[in-house]
Amino acid sequence: MTGLGQGELLEITLRTLSVCGSALAIALALGLPIGIALGRRRFPGRSALVTLVNSGMGAPPVVVGLAVALLLWRSGPLGGLGWMYTPTAMVAAQVLIALPLVVGITLAAVGGLADDWELQVRTLGVPAPWRLWLLLREIRLGLLAAVIAALGGILSEVGAVMQVGGNLAGETRVLTTAILMYTQMGAFEEALGLAAVLLGLFLVLAGLLTAVQQSGRG
Amino acid sequence: MSAPPDGREVLAARDIAVERRSRHGRFRLEVEELALRRGEVLAVLGPNGAGKSTLLRTLAGLETPEVGRVVRGAGVVATLVFQRPAAFAGSVLHNAGAALLGGGHARAEVRRRALAALRSFGIEHLAERRAATLSGGELRRLALARAMALAPTALLLDEPYDDLDVAGQAALTRDLRRAIAETGVAVAVVTHDLRRALLLADRIAVLCDGRLQQQGPRAEVLACPAGPRVARLVGMDNLARAVALPDGWAEVDASHRTPLASAPPAGARGWIGIRPEHLKLDVGRGAGESIGKGRVESLVDDGFTTHVEVSWAGLSLRTHLLSGRGLARSLAVGDPVSLSVRPECVHWMPEDSE
Repeated sequence: MTGLGQGELLEITLRTLSVCGSALAIALALGLPIGIALGRRRFPGRSALVTLVNSGMGAPPVVVGLAVALLLWRSGPLGGLGWMYTPTAMVAAQVLIALPLVVGITLAAVGGLADDWELQVRTLGVPAPWRLWLLLREIRLGLLAAVIAALGGILSEVGAVMQVGGNLAGETRVLTTAILMYTQMGAFEEALGLAAVLLGLFLVLAGLLTAVQQSGRG
Repeated sequence: MSAPPDGREVLAARDIAVERRSRHGRFRLEVEELALRRGEVLAVLGPNGAGKSTLLRTLAGLETPEVGRVVRGAGVVATLVFQRPAAFAGSVLHNAGAALLGGGHARAEVRRRALAALRSFGIEHLAERRAATLSGGELRRLALARAMALAPTALLLDEPYDDLDVAGQAALTRDLRRAIAETGVAVAVVTHDLRRALLLADRIAVLCDGRLQQQGPRAEVLACPAGPRVARLVGMDNLARAVALPDGWAEVDASHRTPLASAPPAGARGWIGIRPEHLKLDVGRGAGESIGKGRVESLVDDGFTTHVEVSWAGLSLRTHLLSGRGLARSLAVGDPVSLSVRPECVHWMPEDSE
């Protein structure tokens, strides 16, 4: 790899992990409670919210990127934050991509429990925090599926992070945007090397999550 | 540790009204007074949709009555075992102790109590199995063990014999009886099936359309139902409209009369009820009074009992014979038979009890 040193490769890889990890953590922190609430509670407007979540699961990342760019653009409503072309903007875009996946899959997992599951736990006199722990144990296979789906979605995503990050060397360049750039430059050797790293990264993470998922089956 | 029934009230519904809305419409449960007592089993009997499960959930504190209140004695722990028990993720042992762990008990204590509960329901050997792999009967036993591990004062059972064959029902009854005797737990069991209710019941409460129709000791409710509706639910299948006569008999029509256990005023209109097991075929057996002749309409033999339907006064009366013995061997559809019943087995219900 003539145009890409080991240092730069490491830096891009670490930035990718940092941006994706942050986005995944935020999406999980927001998405789990929302998914559980949507799955267990019945309230006016729930159907509309579920439809919104389902639509969001298939939303094109470039459209999400465009929406975030319009918000963060200097003249946009959140332009004052100065996030455009920073890793923070990339995290924001990826959270919006991952959130519907986490909510949707959590909702489906929770919805798969018996209608009276919560009552059955309540009648045992189990305190609320322990009830939540039992619920998370119950839906853990679904949760891991949500993590794998969300991770796959944001780790391989290129459109939105390009739009709001700008692929700035040393600042916002991540594996996907770097692969795109080197491909456009005709530097296929570098692009292939980065693609191998990206693929390896995803395989390792997905493999680890799948191992956890399978070990806890049932 | 044996705790015989001492009649102490542990849980009671007082003048409660619970309203539920569903896609099928509005449903209202109203119960004036219903109490569970230590060491005693109350069977709540009623058809589907009568409000039995709603009553249990209200007693368990999972539903709040709009009116009235559920009174719990000091320190009373009431827990409900659902009709379709949930298996929590993890082992059978984890399931049995899950609630105790959440309650802050030490792990060793949780393990000891969970294993003891599993043992009392005969599934200790399944402790390390994943709960999700249990059969329906094993899961029901696990749910009971999970509830009993909490050392409850009141145990509320929703259709506990669902999905169990006759042998499974008998085995579960044996284990439940032992657990009740050892702990003195007050039990309420709801079911739509009289036979299952009778496996455990000390007292019976009959619920129809959200209202308690009758409650009392089992023998009393079985022998003296409050009205024809309750009578049908407690197995008093032979019912007929009748008019009380001055001589202690009742007239069903011009040519059919029955003796009566009670003495309603002459001319009173009402219902007579005779349990199938009290209606005898062939005059001369036992101390029954003859009520005339009938004709065999149908014979159904389930291998243990021959169920006989006899036409009498334009009605189909039911009775049972021991399968393969005596009359059951020789009887055929269309045969004329004589019917008799002891006066104390004919229950009178006033007309307004319907």
